[in-house]
Amino acid sequence: VKVRQKNFPKPTEFPFKTATGVAYDSGNYQLALNKALKLAGYEKLRRDQKRLRSQGRYLGIGLSTYVEICAMGPKGMWEYGKVEVEPSGKVTVLSGASPHGQGQETSFAQIVADELGVELDAITVVHGDTAAVPKGIGTFGSRATAVGGIAVYQAAGKVKEKARELASHLLEVDADDLNFSEGRFNVKGVPKKGLTIQQIAQQVHTTKNLPKEMDPRLSAESTFEPSNFTFPFGTHICVVEVEPQTGTVEIEKYVAVDDCGKVINPLLVDGQIQGGIVQGLGQALFEEVIYDENGQLLTGSLMDYALPRAADLPRLNLTRTETPTPVNPLGIKGIGEAGTIGSTPAVVNAVVDALAPFGVTHIDMPLTPQKIWSLSEGKKAAGSGARR
Amino acid sequence: MIPASFDYIAPQTLDEAVGALAAHGGEAKLLAGGHSLLPLLKLRFVSPKLLIDLSKIPGLSGINERDDKIVIGALTTHYQIESSELLKERCDLLCQTARVIGDVQVRNRGTIGGSLTHADPSADWPAAILALAGELKLSGPKGDRWLAAEQFFLGPMTTAIEPTEILTEIRLPVSSRRYGSAYLKMAQQASGFAVVGVAVWLRLGQSSRCEDIGVGVTGLGVKPFRARTVESRLRGNKLTPKLVEESAAQVTQGSDPLEDLHASAKFRAHLAQVYTSRTLQEAVKRAASRR
Repeated sequence: VKVRQKNFPKPTEFPFKTATGVAYDSGNYQLALNKALKLAGYEKLRRDQKRLRSQGRYLGIGLSTYVEICAMGPKGMWEYGKVEVEPSGKVTVLSGASPHGQGQETSFAQIVADELGVELDAITVVHGDTAAVPKGIGTFGSRATAVGGIAVYQAAGKVKEKARELASHLLEVDADDLNFSEGRFNVKGVPKKGLTIQQIAQQVHTTKNLPKEMDPRLSAESTFEPSNFTFPFGTHICVVEVEPQTGTVEIEKYVAVDDCGKVINPLLVDGQIQGGIVQGLGQALFEEVIYDENGQLLTGSLMDYALPRAADLPRLNLTRTETPTPVNPLGIKGIGEAGTIGSTPAVVNAVVDALAPFGVTHIDMPLTPQKIWSLSEGKKAAGSGARR
Repeated sequence: MIPASFDYIAPQTLDEAVGALAAHGGEAKLLAGGHSLLPLLKLRFVSPKLLIDLSKIPGLSGINERDDKIVIGALTTHYQIESSELLKERCDLLCQTARVIGDVQVRNRGTIGGSLTHADPSADWPAAILALAGELKLSGPKGDRWLAAEQFFLGPMTTAIEPTEILTEIRLPVSSRRYGSAYLKMAQQASGFAVVGVAVWLRLGQSSRCEDIGVGVTGLGVKPFRARTVESRLRGNKLTPKLVEESAAQVTQGSDPLEDLHASAKFRAHLAQVYTSRTLQEAVKRAASRR
């Protein structure tokens, strides 16, 4: 904790140019660390650890603070989005960022719903079909929302401006005399006179006197290429109890404070974090591809290749800080990989910390029972009468 | 993967099944819950010409008490055993063991008889059946015979059952109500099978003296076994923590611990000692609470 506190860049130092030339966009690392320490009850945990060690029980507290590089990114890594309000009032969103389970069907729809003032149910997000979406780069590097979401947001903004022009024609007022609020263009000073975007889409479709230069389709596309990467960050704290006699690790507590900038959908962000933490924990404790000397794969099925299960986990205690990025107009940083980045070192550090009385300072992953047992076997724990 | 092709019959009577098995010799395999057999078929570790499904034969499933003995049909599922009120009262060790087998799906389909005859050296049932001094009824063309569990397990995936015999019943003596029992295992993280599993059944007499005891061990060696050395050190004696600890250390005596991906021989032997000690302590605790 002290080493981190001493070395963190301060919030006022952002954008923080690192020695490698990369500029961290924004951050408040100390805030996330403090929040995690408080949530975990760090001081008390250290007292508990001391007390339990004297009883021959080995509690370990593992901490990891991380900075991630996300939203790939500048220099050609654009993403594509298109938004179209159909005459029926239905909105179709196309995205080149093709999620495979992260839930951007929902978060992209939320971005468009907020921008256009349209009900979420009226919006369909289409992705992953090259017959429907003309171009795109894809989902990786925690970029789908921070880059693809912005492309969709920009396309929605263009649709809104187009709708303003059409509304000005339909309502026979100057475009500058229209206010947009809660999905409706209102004539300034005449609040009863106005049209929603969906009404505009419908009326333009049937109107006969549209000027020739006016395009009746409420449709726009956009690509977004960020000027820099984003740098989400956070602190994870894992508490374990290790039983040296059998080498087993019990996860007692897990606290994660992640900062991915502005959050579109808290539930989806929590889902990403949860899945990531569990995946990272699997890497730390269980997962290993093993071949024998003849090159035969020994971990060829889930009967031998171990993964974490729900029963192996405590309730994950998740919270956030929110430091928006200046790199894109929505302040979004990305969250896809944060869980795995924070959890693997937090879990390993916790186990190493638990075994500190045995002089353990490092263990290669995965931290299997046999490995843990062999490290403490025959050694006397410092500060404990128990011999293992 | 897809199994090699096979024929399938589902006889309506035990005689029919025995007849079919005799007629096809080593070419046929019996299908109970299928949770050991199907994975083997899919991996093509076995390719029988014929599967004889036992599920249509009446009377092969169920749990009853007869003359101070619990009788369990071979086709009784792990879940039926786990949830049996009769067993909870009369032979809780079986419920405890069933509870930690595989997962809910496996326990709903897998059967005790299937598991015992499959004889995986890391399976859970053998430890409990050995600790309880169970007997197995084998039905063949020459009629029925009873075999003690200790004579049944011969090696990995190998039992004393003849190719023409079917395991039909498991019988367990439960004369005493003053017993304590426990099954504890170190589960392999991926499969849930026992790296080492120890089952203990014991009866305490006056002043905590051990009147009778059975200790079954699975996972340690190529076949499950009854830890006779441990038992004889404890039988007739007061079960002090010191004696339990010392006796448990002898569980590895005469065994040749397995070595695999999940545990070296040395680690397995160590685990066997730890788990024997813990299981004994747990069984003593439960016996004491029953008095």
